[in-house]
Amino acid sequence: MAANYWASTQRRHWLFSREKLADIREGLREKDKVAHSQFPLPDQRLLNIYFNQRRLIQIIELIKLGKRMSTRQQAIATAQVYLKRFYTKNEIRQTSPYLVLTTAFYLACKMEESPQHIRFVVGEARGLWPEFITPDVAKLGECEFALISELSSQLIVHHPYRTLSELQTELSLTSDEIALAWSVINDHYLTDLPLLHPPHVIAIMAIIVAVVFKPTHPSAYPGTGQSALAGSMRDGGGMQMLAALSDKTGSGPPPKIQKLVGWLAESEVDIKAVIECTQELVSLYEVWEQYSEKSCKELLGRMVKSKNLDK
Amino acid sequence: MEHFRDSAAPLKIASNLVSPGHFLFHSKKPSGPPASKVPQKMDKSQQPSSFQQLEKLGEGTYATVFKGRNRQTGEMVALKEIHLDSEEGTPSTAIREISLMKELKHESIVSLYDVIHTENKLMLVFEFMDRDLKRYMDTRGDRGQLDPATVKSFMHQLLKGIAFCHDNRVLHRDLKPQNLLINKKGQLKLGDFGLARAFGIPVNTFSNEVVTLWYRAPDVLLGSRTYNTSIDIWSAGCIMAEMYTGRPLFPGTTNEDQLIKIFRLMGTPSERTWPGISQLPEYKSDFQIYATQDLSLIVPQMDAIGMDLLNRMLQLRPEMRISANEALQHPWFHDLPQIQAKLQQQHQQQQMAGYGGMIPPQPAY
Repeated sequence: MAANYWASTQRRHWLFSREKLADIREGLREKDKVAHSQFPLPDQRLLNIYFNQRRLIQIIELIKLGKRMSTRQQAIATAQVYLKRFYTKNEIRQTSPYLVLTTAFYLACKMEESPQHIRFVVGEARGLWPEFITPDVAKLGECEFALISELSSQLIVHHPYRTLSELQTELSLTSDEIALAWSVINDHYLTDLPLLHPPHVIAIMAIIVAVVFKPTHPSAYPGTGQSALAGSMRDGGGMQMLAALSDKTGSGPPPKIQKLVGWLAESEVDIKAVIECTQELVSLYEVWEQYSEKSCKELLGRMVKSKNLDK
Repeated sequence: MEHFRDSAAPLKIASNLVSPGHFLFHSKKPSGPPASKVPQKMDKSQQPSSFQQLEKLGEGTYATVFKGRNRQTGEMVALKEIHLDSEEGTPSTAIREISLMKELKHESIVSLYDVIHTENKLMLVFEFMDRDLKRYMDTRGDRGQLDPATVKSFMHQLLKGIAFCHDNRVLHRDLKPQNLLINKKGQLKLGDFGLARAFGIPVNTFSNEVVTLWYRAPDVLLGSRTYNTSIDIWSAGCIMAEMYTGRPLFPGTTNEDQLIKIFRLMGTPSERTWPGISQLPEYKSDFQIYATQDLSLIVPQMDAIGMDLLNRMLQLRPEMRISANEALQHPWFHDLPQIQAKLQQQHQQQQMAGYGGMIPPQPAY
């Protein structure tokens, strides 16, 4: 959203190394071993899919933030980042994820200047999860207050979308490529990548993926690159081409990709990081195949109900 | 509780205040209090604040500001208490201000040291500033007028703060003397970012209900919703003139009256002088036609080079207005080092003369 990324709280306080992030999570697990063995939960990415793919988008559609797609997407993305940051400090088993998610969304809408009325948000969330959200709006207000505190009031989030639109002309990307890169950025919020890499690295990863792995059939799933990309990314042909990116003498790829390789070589972007991000995305699409809404819902429901987290 | 990640924050505070987050999410007992349950009462008497609250400094729309003293260091601070609303949660303006202040650290912007969460309010701990520019002019100036050296020093600091905001893609949107704060060292800093916004992605639907009327740019008054950094420059120009004369340059009462006051002085714009103006929502083809006046008649105290800068800031067409960074390079500021040395010297003399750091009621120039 705002201000300068290089001096931002995002860069200074919310960017972790993979090891650090693993340590933090191990620490949370250590503190509450009992709950961990009592309430197994699916892979975090599957939970993310559960909350985003089906639900959050639905809320957004209902609310119709009105404005342009970018504003809407921006608020969703900001809410997703708040959740990730929040759960680096809090064990999910001690919270009601449904309430935290609703709150993150409510707060993100305020931050992105599309504020929604508290009653409206609670009403919509109750429509989706009647068994987990209480009608008492004060709960949302209290949770918002706590969320702001846990996030150390550092609420401005820098997203990759801006870099993407800034590079559109420079790399002469087609509108199809932009659309695909946009979906890849949407998908990366389902992984840990927003905590691991700066937004421009993500944007460049998304551009490369869009240009290198052009999907042969249109996406069946608007808003995500999963079905469009999962297959072609696994085939391996594209991966070899991607490997060629780090080898600056890459042998004869199509002109568009050559141009991209040339641009990357001149920029000072961390190519290794970009490749790592691509791998993370491939692995997301693999995990995605195991996704079952029913099992996420059951496991979460059992945890929330037996711990009385929704009261 | 606010996590003290900012190692630069000079205050160690509120270690004994408990945030609702503590109750919400840090329950130690696996089957402990339900996650969203917040105790209705907290025994505040057992949790004394690390700040002694002193006199009230002001009351805003969503906050009350008090002077405060850090009990440990004795340092003075400004405590901005924000009330929570059960229908709105934490006010958007407060959220915007806090989050922007967390990002914007600059010598010409008031520092936010900390945010303290108590059970039903938020307290922002700001760097203490003695008074706002409005009160400074009323008490220190000659019928509100400031001497040229002080005006130059203040304008330079104001433009530095604005340039920093703009470089960081932030618009202040509400610059006025009441939002510029002055301390005993003669430093001027931007405060009150409640209406500021970040302009990451171009948005054409800014609310046009921002910027106090007197300092509001004509493009905003005409209903433009695609305004940008230039609106802060217009406000800065109005403030510059006001510091010289002691009176607001365009004290309009309504949107329309504000436009007329501007046109009367700057001339009524037309499609010829401002292509596209007739497309703006509030434009009227029957605006009274005024010729452009000479600003130096209105602000006779100002020298010719200063007048040149003022004219560049008060351009009706937003795209013609000088940028904050260009303004800082303007020849008017070339003698700033000498001026600052002189002000510094005067400041020391006043201290020696026994004012004990108090600002004397009359300027010594």
